Amino acid sequence: MIPEEIIHQPSWYESSARARIVGLLDTDTFAEILGPADRVMSPHLDLFDLPPAFDDGMIIGRGKLAGRAVAVAAQEGQFMGGTFAEVSGAKLVGLLRAVTAAVGTASAVTSVLLLLDTGGVRLQEANAGEMAVSEIIRAVLDTRRAGVPVIALIGGRAGAFGGGGIVTACCSHVVISEQGRISVTGPEVIETNQGAEEFDSRDRALVWRITGGRSRVLLGGADSYVKGDIAGFREMAIRVHNTVPAFSPETMMMEQDRLKKRLEFYGDCTDTPEIWSRAGLSDPDKIYEIDDDAFLALLSQKGSRS
Amino acid sequence: MRDWTKQRTERTARLKGAMPLATGKIVKAEQVTELLGHLIKSGDRVCLEGDNQKQADFLARCLTQVDPAAIHDLHIVQSGLVLTEHLDLFRLGIARKLDFSYSGPQSGAIARALDQGKIELGAIHTYIELFARYSVDLTPNVALIAAVSADREGNLYTGPNTEDTPTIVEATAFKSGIVIAQVNEIVDKVPRVDIPGDQIDFVVEAPEPFYVEPLFTRDPGAVTESQILMAMMALKGIYAEYQPKRLNHGIGFATAAIELLLPTFGEKLGLRGKVATHWALNPHPTLIPAIESGWVEQIHCFGSEVGMDQYMSARPDIYFIGKDGTLRSNRLLCQNAGLYASDMFIGSTLQIDLAGNSSTVTPDRIAGFGGAPNMGSDAHGRRHVSDAWLKAGREAAGHSGLLVRGRKLVVQMVETFGEGMKPAFVEELDSIALAKKLGMELAPVMIFGDDVTHIITEEGIANLLLCRNADEVEQAIRGVAGYTPVGMARDRVRVEELRARGVIRRPEDLDIEPLEASRNLLAARSIRDLVTWSGGLYVPPSKFRNW
Repeated sequence: MIPEEIIHQPSWYESSARARIVGLLDTDTFAEILGPADRVMSPHLDLFDLPPAFDDGMIIGRGKLAGRAVAVAAQEGQFMGGTFAEVSGAKLVGLLRAVTAAVGTASAVTSVLLLLDTGGVRLQEANAGEMAVSEIIRAVLDTRRAGVPVIALIGGRAGAFGGGGIVTACCSHVVISEQGRISVTGPEVIETNQGAEEFDSRDRALVWRITGGRSRVLLGGADSYVKGDIAGFREMAIRVHNTVPAFSPETMMMEQDRLKKRLEFYGDCTDTPEIWSRAGLSDPDKIYEIDDDAFLALLSQKGSRS
Repeated sequence: MRDWTKQRTERTARLKGAMPLATGKIVKAEQVTELLGHLIKSGDRVCLEGDNQKQADFLARCLTQVDPAAIHDLHIVQSGLVLTEHLDLFRLGIARKLDFSYSGPQSGAIARALDQGKIELGAIHTYIELFARYSVDLTPNVALIAAVSADREGNLYTGPNTEDTPTIVEATAFKSGIVIAQVNEIVDKVPRVDIPGDQIDFVVEAPEPFYVEPLFTRDPGAVTESQILMAMMALKGIYAEYQPKRLNHGIGFATAAIELLLPTFGEKLGLRGKVATHWALNPHPTLIPAIESGWVEQIHCFGSEVGMDQYMSARPDIYFIGKDGTLRSNRLLCQNAGLYASDMFIGSTLQIDLAGNSSTVTPDRIAGFGGAPNMGSDAHGRRHVSDAWLKAGREAAGHSGLLVRGRKLVVQMVETFGEGMKPAFVEELDSIALAKKLGMELAPVMIFGDDVTHIITEEGIANLLLCRNADEVEQAIRGVAGYTPVGMARDRVRVEELRARGVIRRPEDLDIEPLEASRNLLAARSIRDLVTWSGGLYVPPSKFRNW
């Protein structure tokens, strides 16, 4: 018999960006903007003899989540590492600006869902990519200021690295699964620049201990933890819809204060189990070995913020 | 009067020279190089234990530090040549001649050293072929081996990674040779005696535990839908039809896909208990779901696998476990089982020619053979029967009768285009060109076409048992070679004739819908799932984690 824990519902980690959108939204409600048929492709990849994608690895559009209108953007991590580039970046910026502009009109949405799955900026079009990331950050903050929450859903193969890590941190709420990773500089880059003694990128347990979903949610870098199936992400996206904090100076001050304290308490720790042990979690080495149910139980004991 | 004890006298003399460096049998790590200077003489045959997984890496390092002016022209006889130190021996002029089986990561370096005349190559063997020659004409004078622990009498515990050690020691110790063991620790009492102390001359505690490479772990997350389709065809077109109970699987992703489909697709076909019950197999983590679902009766292992030890210890009904509670592997015995006691070998390859010969040689690399040629060959000496073996024999003969011999099923699974979109089907194997370039008399062929019974690609199954001549074999192979140049050059009419005769079968002929080949069919889709299946007993190495 197949153990019950091995869910055979579609997993977020395994699915394509399109399959994630379809599973996340209400059935048949997704209306894509600039879909593959429009052939808006990268003008740069050809120079490098690389095949482009009809959607440049960024899928944007509108749909419904539990009956409410939402905007959604998903990166395809399996195409060029889900990278931010001229076209993919412009599509996301455009979506966010359209959401802000539509506030108070008939086409207003109640939230934006960002299904990030990215290694960061696409090196082949780095200038355009860097600018895109800055524009996205600005657009995310404008959207939040206009009263529309932006919710990041992180659990893809590429994680949320580079500019993707920064964009994630700017969102109103971050949902993550065990496989999800959030960071800025990727493990391979750290190793290349600082050596394997500083960070051994092939020690994947270490990579996940530092950047992975469980550590991020325990440290407050993510707000909600879900099991890895698409249905779990959907359920959580519906649930957090109305619980996101206001985009206000008070929220920012509280967050600043939390980060300051975190640095004070744990700034000298060199690995996460040290932090868990100092924070009084029992069995700090087991945090990554227990199953999702046990981890969720631990989270609810502790409260998801530290 | 002939002196009948020259070897013994020589051994005694060498031991006498080394004695001051040892306390009993124990030698300090920093004195090993000096010790080797007393024990090894130029021209000796030396086995520097390099197995498929376990490496006597510390002793290898020490041997590279001896003075080449004093010790040279060694003849290296060992199965695996996988550490850079192994090649250094030839580069430094300490060793000259080489007989081996497998090179893996050093395959490029060996080809270069051969080309530069640094190595005088005896032969590239299969494992049991080399082990056989240990007893006949390649008996080591000195064996440098690796074990987990030793007591002060030299009794060794080689543990789960026992692999080649008993075979090497047997040949060396009983022919007046000298055996030196590196161990991870010296203890008062070993957990079990794998090698009796009176066969061991010296023991050294190595500064670091011996190196073991995880070789058989295939991440279910990397299994593709095309491999799943091939695995479905294998289960329906071969497992269900021939019902092989005793078998060996290769280590590729296609066979990993089969292992992961047993509890799902295989269960639906009603095959549990009817096929794949007894195995000669390394401890593949991807077999855990099938074991846990009750498919497997028992498994004998060539070696171990990093992370699998606890799981195997907890399943002594399945694995061969010592009274101490840990696995005992043995490459010689398991290879022998794969050759004589298995009804089927199924595995992947890189290149197949029009006669069904296959090779994993790529230009400028000599990877060697390991054990696949023994597993993947019909054992003509076999006399015991089984249903699968007889059915294959009858198909080959075209009839049944009193003296129709059986056949081992030898199945090659290959995607028509391999890594880098390189066609897997070729008019001529790359190994032919390599053999010409290096002046080898026999081109390295992994599995000869006359042993192959079936070829599976994503386009279908070619049953070579039903082919009646070389021409039919060629068209049957072209008929499953897809869009490769070899496949495009098929004679369409002949291929359709072969299909009508059941020589070639497409997925639809097997009632398989290619769109149903989905990753959701896998009993485990990630390494994490395998850990869950094992109840936490499987502890994967960090490089396979994504949590």
